[in-house]
Amino acid sequence: MTNTALHIDHLARIEGHGNIHVVVKDGVVETVEMNVVEPARLFESMVCGRDYTEVTYISSRICGICSASHVVTDLRAIEKIFDVRPTERTKAIRELLVYGSYLQNHATHLFVLAAPDYLGTPDVFPLAELDPELLNSALGIKALGNELCTRVGGRSIHPITAVVGGFTNEISAEEYLELANKMEEMLPFMVKTVDLFNSFPVPDMKSEGDLLAMVEDGYYPIITSDNARFLHAGETFDVDDIHDYIEEYLVDHSAALLARVKKTSSPYMTSALARVNASWKHLSSSAKVVAAKAGLRPPELNPFKNNVAQAVELVDALERCAGICRKLADGEYEGSSAPIAYEVKAGRAVGYTEAPRGALFHDLTIDEAGKVVEASILTPTAQNVANIEADIRQLAEKLVGEGVSEDKLKLEVEKLVRSYDPCLSCSVH
Amino acid sequence: MGATNSAAAATCEAVPQSQIPRVVVIGLASCFGCQLQITNNEKHLLDVLGQFDLNYWQLVSSTPMPDDFDVAIIEGAIVNEESLKLVEEIREKAKIVITIGACANTAGIPGIAAKHYDSRSEYVYDDFPAAGGKAISPRSVPSVIDVDYRVPCCPIDPFEFLEVLGKALYGSNRPLTEKTMCGDCKRNETGCFYQQQKLCLGLVTRAGCGARCVNLGRACNGCRGLSPEANLESAREAVVRYGLNVEDFDSALELFNQTNPALQGKE
Repeated sequence: MTNTALHIDHLARIEGHGNIHVVVKDGVVETVEMNVVEPARLFESMVCGRDYTEVTYISSRICGICSASHVVTDLRAIEKIFDVRPTERTKAIRELLVYGSYLQNHATHLFVLAAPDYLGTPDVFPLAELDPELLNSALGIKALGNELCTRVGGRSIHPITAVVGGFTNEISAEEYLELANKMEEMLPFMVKTVDLFNSFPVPDMKSEGDLLAMVEDGYYPIITSDNARFLHAGETFDVDDIHDYIEEYLVDHSAALLARVKKTSSPYMTSALARVNASWKHLSSSAKVVAAKAGLRPPELNPFKNNVAQAVELVDALERCAGICRKLADGEYEGSSAPIAYEVKAGRAVGYTEAPRGALFHDLTIDEAGKVVEASILTPTAQNVANIEADIRQLAEKLVGEGVSEDKLKLEVEKLVRSYDPCLSCSVH
Repeated sequence: MGATNSAAAATCEAVPQSQIPRVVVIGLASCFGCQLQITNNEKHLLDVLGQFDLNYWQLVSSTPMPDDFDVAIIEGAIVNEESLKLVEEIREKAKIVITIGACANTAGIPGIAAKHYDSRSEYVYDDFPAAGGKAISPRSVPSVIDVDYRVPCCPIDPFEFLEVLGKALYGSNRPLTEKTMCGDCKRNETGCFYQQQKLCLGLVTRAGCGARCVNLGRACNGCRGLSPEANLESAREAVVRYGLNVEDFDSALELFNQTNPALQGKE
């Protein structure tokens, strides 16, 4: 295969619409393009001019699967501007809400979208006959994520109850304990799943881009810190200074704005794999054991291993959330979750959370009347596209060098892209 | 999709393969949440899929879209020429079209951009990217083609989807209720936001969700769409009577109803 033009139109089993083009001439990879062809919905312009109370309702519609993350990210930005300090209890419930979307996202991605690549099936449905127990347990994890989001947020996607300063509704202690029991029951299955995903053979490669993740002393943070870290550059920054560290740029072949490290111009990955690399030692005890057993330790730079990292995060999320639910039931967190009183103030701040697929930033400026006057939203997939292209190039060069067939090249490129768990509708928002 | 054929055969033994409805699922501009809500019927997912031959669902399968099918389920708003053409083609091919979610049914959140549309792309991009298709002002699917069944709300309720799918597959022309939501809160005894001097769009929004948001302490934001029975003028008078601002009420309505002709001409 010295000359080939690989065109994958409408890459399936990812969220959103995208095409991939790889051109190989005389054995050399000439072009690698990932076209995000998702139509622009212009969210930043839609948030502008709206009242701050409407912002979470609008921006959560960027993405059905990480809607809880968009809501909490907005709330963190707005609360910084208004100088609102939510209670420990509110913060714990928000963590549950976002972890609910981790369960939904990682289970859907691993079992429904990624697993068919390794099982050699076009989709997940043949699993009903091949391994009904695996399919049932996998759907069970996803259902538990939905249940967590529904009980905490009011429905499985686009949460209702999370507002500035707290929650408009909270479940009973009995319901928290019920959730904790269900999560602990699921743990053994998830531990096995890490082994399953780790057993799938993947090409040996190391992504050359940087890694970006939230960091916090002594904790595996997803919504509690304002510090982000580029792991290779060794640079930690306060997210209010994001524009000094991350640069967005436009390319002709994509409707998504791409991103790179401003100082080094390097592309970067933000994902479960980046988080595990950044905060490995703060994983829950079961998650750390199972990660060590699977050989997933920092530095792990093979992008295909993001699947294993997501499975490890599911173990972590189940154990962590069961603990949070028990503490909530026992009233161990200080304060109530009822929205606290606040005054509307003008200002600008960046909200930051680790969404299931990686770092999510909402940069909001609000005026005295509480109307949004400036908005900039940076989603995980938009940040990952440049690194995905660099990884496709590296993989294609390696496989072309090994003389693989065009079909094999196509399959491996698709698997690589899917391992990033891209959400193209998020990337064009 | 192979497995569903055999599952279908098991469920509908008496039905010949040729009579099993062939279904396609298409996503336009949206958050994909309503398609996810279909999969969020975990307990019933395989039973649901067993009732038809799922020919095409890009979100979950790499099988390409066929030319021939019976039922098309459309999610998302139309925001480019390409999707406009696609829904017209789908209407010609499909016996039944079901629109799911606010984006498809009312243009939903993407529809907000219909107001001052031309100035918006400049805010986000210096040069509008060609890769996203030839952009047009957002519009709902029923504003372009005839639609047979609708599942409203943002996001859809998974069980309401099953109910409507059942109507489409087995035949029922019972329409969606046209009443406004206000009566629901009285039945639920959840009180009224207007009594607390807070805006709520339940006054004019189509009933049917059971007032889910109000039950959880938040006012209705109108995601089910304007009720055909809504009396906007009288609602505006009520807003004033409670000491609230009509401009705020009209602005709140834009969230999910910007492209509704009833709201046009207000500016």
